[in-house]
Amino acid sequence: MKKEMLWLAVLLAMGLTACGGISESSPTPKPTTIRLPMGFVADVQFAPWYVAVEKGYFAEEGIELEFDYSWETDGVRLVGSGELPFAIASGDQVILARAQELPVTTITSWFQRFPVSVVALEGNGIEEPIDLAGQKVGIPETFGASYIGWRALASEYGLEEDDVELEVVGYTQLANLTEGRVDAAVVYANNEPVQLKQAGRDFVQFLVAEEVSLVSNGIIANETVLEERPELARAFVRAFLKGLQDTLEDPEGAFEICRQYVEGLEENEDAQRAVLDATIDYWRGEQLGESDPQAWRNTSEVMRSAELLQESIDLEKAFTNEFLP
Amino acid sequence: MSRRHLSRIGLAVLSLSVFLLLWQGVVSLGGYPTFILPSPRAVVERLGSLLMSGALWRHVQVTLKEILGGLALGTFVATLLGYLLAHSPVAERLLAPYIVASQSVPTVAIAPLLVIWFGTGLLSKVLVCALIVFFPILVNTVVGVRSVSRDLRDLMRTLQASRWQMIWMLEVPAALPTLLGGLKVGATLAVIGAVVGEFVASDRGVGYLLKQGQQLYDTPLVFVGIGTLVVMAQILYGTVALAERLLLRWQD
Repeated sequence: MKKEMLWLAVLLAMGLTACGGISESSPTPKPTTIRLPMGFVADVQFAPWYVAVEKGYFAEEGIELEFDYSWETDGVRLVGSGELPFAIASGDQVILARAQELPVTTITSWFQRFPVSVVALEGNGIEEPIDLAGQKVGIPETFGASYIGWRALASEYGLEEDDVELEVVGYTQLANLTEGRVDAAVVYANNEPVQLKQAGRDFVQFLVAEEVSLVSNGIIANETVLEERPELARAFVRAFLKGLQDTLEDPEGAFEICRQYVEGLEENEDAQRAVLDATIDYWRGEQLGESDPQAWRNTSEVMRSAELLQESIDLEKAFTNEFLP
Repeated sequence: MSRRHLSRIGLAVLSLSVFLLLWQGVVSLGGYPTFILPSPRAVVERLGSLLMSGALWRHVQVTLKEILGGLALGTFVATLLGYLLAHSPVAERLLAPYIVASQSVPTVAIAPLLVIWFGTGLLSKVLVCALIVFFPILVNTVVGVRSVSRDLRDLMRTLQASRWQMIWMLEVPAALPTLLGGLKVGATLAVIGAVVGEFVASDRGVGYLLKQGQQLYDTPLVFVGIGTLVVMAQILYGTVALAERLLLRWQD
């Protein structure tokens, strides 16, 4: 009996010690690890994300962020299938995905303006978009943001499909343009024109964003995550927007942070810095991250007329501003 | 039709039916949405719509043109060079390191460069196909030509055969089995080459269909594209195998 009492006392003492341990210092909750498909290779254009990580904004929200530089469509599929909670994707991808019943929603419009443009070298007789009639225009694909941007611009100027010789050139627009194989090319306004400028070439540029408002890149989320873990979505958006705000206020500092993430930045520093400066302009807006319903309607209409979308989708489910701070 | 032939067809139908049933079973039991794993029915319906509109045939024609062009060019250059390497140790020592090194470069890395250098049309795709079929045919040509026995060469020389007679009457027949083996591998690889070329820049072809399916989240279209490529590769392989049987009848 005495022996049994002794055991009881030892166990009781151990239990009390353990309880004391918990009450004295509550352990830090384990951060939620999130793998984020970026849709492109490591690049200065992801500066707000790198800034948000380096300044600890994600850590403050209990999130450990892992960058996954996989293709955009793969990211959308992974989010749609519930494998991952979030990804970076453009609005047109969300519309296409929803048309195929993927439950994805844009919760932050990172780009406030659509960054696609058409460029032509000076001296080609192309001074206005209407001058593109009868010319050969190089385009990366006949789907995706470039094509949607082209269709929107052409439509604004009354250019029909047969008015222009559209040639799919992949992502070799500059080589084709400078070699004279095409008269103009559909490009990303924050990238190829910067390279042309760096190469000392004079060119004319027609910005899609000056003609019509379309949706571009943003953060997409799985619908189930938004229903079951809305706080995680809010925390994720909050952390990103802080990184975005800091990048807009201090591009120089953001560029320095990019050095840790983008390999070979030193070799091409001037061009990369110019790309970041050009891209920043497309992120600015009255309310950072806010989705514009009209831009979504415009994008959907362009996609319908381009026959990328067979039937209209319920746009109210394609985006929401509910998770913005 | 012989009984043996009928039983072979029966086995093929049976294995296809089991495969389709298993596929349907996985889709039904797993409850997968179409964008992850479409049912056989969804794929057949997509195939039907592409066949009815004539779109599939249009795309197949484009890819076939690229494959045949690449196969012809790759075979021509590889056979000529293979013959030279088989006979000239100096040429082999000079060129072999570069040829082997070229095989360590993935075609997907070269394809965008070919598009920049030769444009986005048929030529760049034909060149991608030619590059991919080049090596197996070259290696088999070298092996085939070198497999001709010294005794037979000596015999031809004794009979005072000319250079051309030596080639047509001895080396070509002797090297043909190995060469056709290389061509069988090359024919299937050429399909991959065409798709790689179309992935870089195209607005037509089966590779384009695949890309379109991926971009538009149209997974049944991706399945149709993959199935079409498999059938094309099988037909090309079968054609070379048939040619092999016809050309090598003398061996029986």
